[in-house]
Amino acid sequence: MDLTPNDEQEALRTATVDWLADNMPLDQARTRPASIWQGMEDMGWFGLTTGAMGLDHATEALLFAELGRFLAPVSAISTAVAARWSDTEGKVALALGERILDSGDTETALGLFDGKAGLVSYQAAAAEPSLDLSTAQTILDAAPEPALLGESEAALHFRLLTAAYAVGCAEAAGAMATEYAKMREQFGKPIGSFQAIKHMCADMAVRSQVCRSQLYYAACALDGEDPDVDFHIGAAKRLADQAALENGRANIQIHGGIGMTDEALAHLPLKRAHLLQFVAPTATAELL
Amino acid sequence: MDIGFSPEEQEFREQCRDWLQTHIPAEKRPLNADEALDFDKAWQRQLFEAGWAGINWPERYGGRGLSIVQQVIWLEEYARARAPWIGANFVGINHGGPTLIVNASDAQKAFHLPKILKGEAIWCQGFSEPGAGSDLAGIRTKGRIEGDEIVINGSKIWTSFAHVADYQELVLRTEEGSQRHKGLSWVICDMKAPGITVRPIRKMSGQVEFAEVFYDDVRIPLDNVVGGLGNGWAVAMSTLSFERGTGFIADQVKQSQEVDDLIATARAEGLITDDRIAEDLAQLKAEVSAVRAMTYRNISEVERRGQPGPEASIIRLFTAELGQRIERMGIRLMGERLLDFRYGDDDLVHDYLRGFAATIAGGSAQIQRDIIGERMLGLPRSR
Ligand SMILES: Cc1cc2nc3c(=O)[nH]c(=O)nc-3n(C[C@H](O)[C@H](O)[C@H](O)COP(=O)(O)OP(=O)(O)OC[C@H]3O[C@@H](n4cnc5c(N)ncnc54)[C@H](O)[C@@H]3O)c2cc1C
Repeated sequence: MDLTPNDEQEALRTATVDWLADNMPLDQARTRPASIWQGMEDMGWFGLTTGAMGLDHATEALLFAELGRFLAPVSAISTAVAARWSDTEGKVALALGERILDSGDTETALGLFDGKAGLVSYQAAAAEPSLDLSTAQTILDAAPEPALLGESEAALHFRLLTAAYAVGCAEAAGAMATEYAKMREQFGKPIGSFQAIKHMCADMAVRSQVCRSQLYYAACALDGEDPDVDFHIGAAKRLADQAALENGRANIQIHGGIGMTDEALAHLPLKRAHLLQFVAPTATAELL
Repeated sequence: MDIGFSPEEQEFREQCRDWLQTHIPAEKRPLNADEALDFDKAWQRQLFEAGWAGINWPERYGGRGLSIVQQVIWLEEYARARAPWIGANFVGINHGGPTLIVNASDAQKAFHLPKILKGEAIWCQGFSEPGAGSDLAGIRTKGRIEGDEIVINGSKIWTSFAHVADYQELVLRTEEGSQRHKGLSWVICDMKAPGITVRPIRKMSGQVEFAEVFYDDVRIPLDNVVGGLGNGWAVAMSTLSFERGTGFIADQVKQSQEVDDLIATARAEGLITDDRIAEDLAQLKAEVSAVRAMTYRNISEVERRGQPGPEASIIRLFTAELGQRIERMGIRLMGERLLDFRYGDDDLVHDYLRGFAATIAGGSAQIQRDIIGERMLGLPRSR
């Protein structure tokens, strides 16, 4: 048993963060250049667990949490799952009932249908903004009929990567709030010196640690074909959703007036958290 | 103790109800300040002409001078009728006007009060600065006295309705080198004066309502000082004595309607069979009811003792956080339709996003808890 990343995983993570910090800063979350997709593909993130690269899900979850922290396109999740469990090539959007998220530049999407992963085709239509300002969506007249993927692991994989995104999102909100609490001064000291704020930051860190730990455990359960893997991935997704939403809200509160604005970045993680909460959510019955 | 109203009060309630029913604007109040301006002015004018403007202002200043119970009845009926928020007139009617009534010279009152009541002059509140939010005494905007003028330099932020306002209640530092609460003055600033630049700021809900205001050698007459030079802190605080806790009643009725609407939605969409949703709705309904009880209690205290007690902070905090819980329930019932929100939409998602202000603006939830702990419970002060 060792639930810490090894040197190789750490190195991959560092390379991931470096690239994301340079190419996908949060202040460009809603106006990303078209070339970003090619850049991500070149980084290999869509094929980490395919035969060609052969990395495990633990490594993949580690890197996807970083993608989630930078509010990377959600279609990286569907694309990676499609690459692993089907022979679809190129970008695959994320299907959510009749909504196709990040729907541009492809006519194929992947999502869960009654708990099973499936692919759908749709007619490219002009994408519209969504609540999550970094994700455009196309709303179809009706939920398309999916072609279900054979392997049941595909759904687990999909939920695991979504959970990883939510973990990163929760951490992004926590980090943003904590940095602000160190820097912003009122009454002659940093607001983080007031217990009310300090404790909110601490709670954000607790939630982040809780869901990140469960994410690692769940990823290893998938790699090790653990009999309880469904439960562990379900728990990871539930905890990560909760952390992302609660940290997202606390982040705005800690920022005060500026947190209420469109120009500051504080609202972005919360809005992303609201999107992720609908992607492969964990129903209560799945955990009992 | 009793919860009944007298026959005269019932009759007054009927009057309010009748007038509101026939006069409420058919169209919805626009979201953004510039689009809402005409709407707000027209509605205020209507209220004024029918004698409903400034119900809590003394009659000699053109108000209605209603008793506190009558104010409550009016506000209850106002909310029940879903009458529009007074919007751009809010600061003038509830803040600037009352401050003038308590502190201003006769000339200042005679000039400004009628304009406010009629909706002819829009006021905004320039208190907060980039460096002075929760810590209001950290104000740095400067007013240099030159002869019979004040020359203003600095900036204010989060000023609601600044870009449509005619006047601003501006608190600035008029004494060079003064610290904290000392050396501040409360002045009337003409928003059209040369040297003022207003930059509207979009909220995360898409709404454009507040703004940043920059002052570059703005000259205003020294006569515009209200309540004495260097006395700004006391003047700013005096407005609070005008607040009788009645404002909460409108929120209470509104919140209670929102909860009832959500219960109806949950029933219509079959979501009420989800035990967690039913449980949370039941809790909200009980809490909203308690806000009315708290408010009535608080108002009765004011009647008896002449001023609001520190309990007002409790109602404020509870109402603010309750409002956010209601808004969260609202989006919870929407499911994935939440994702279809776009800037410009005026719906439950907008309410949710805008509602974050309830625990930030005008004394954050953290500051409110400090006030309850320190001023009400006598716990040691932390600052
Ligand atoms: C929608 C909206 C409308 C507004 N309209 C106006 C207006 O018309 N005119 C005007 O003058 N202002 C207005 N404001 C400003 C408002 O009053 C300030 O936002 C508020 O006072 C908080 O200040 P701040 O934004 O600088 O946050 P900060 O004071 O920087 O607070 C940041 C965080 O630190 C916390 N904090 C600060 N000090 C302490 C402490 N001692 N202990 C514990 N926690 C602390 C706060 O609770 C908050 O969570 C408006 C704000 C909003 C959001």
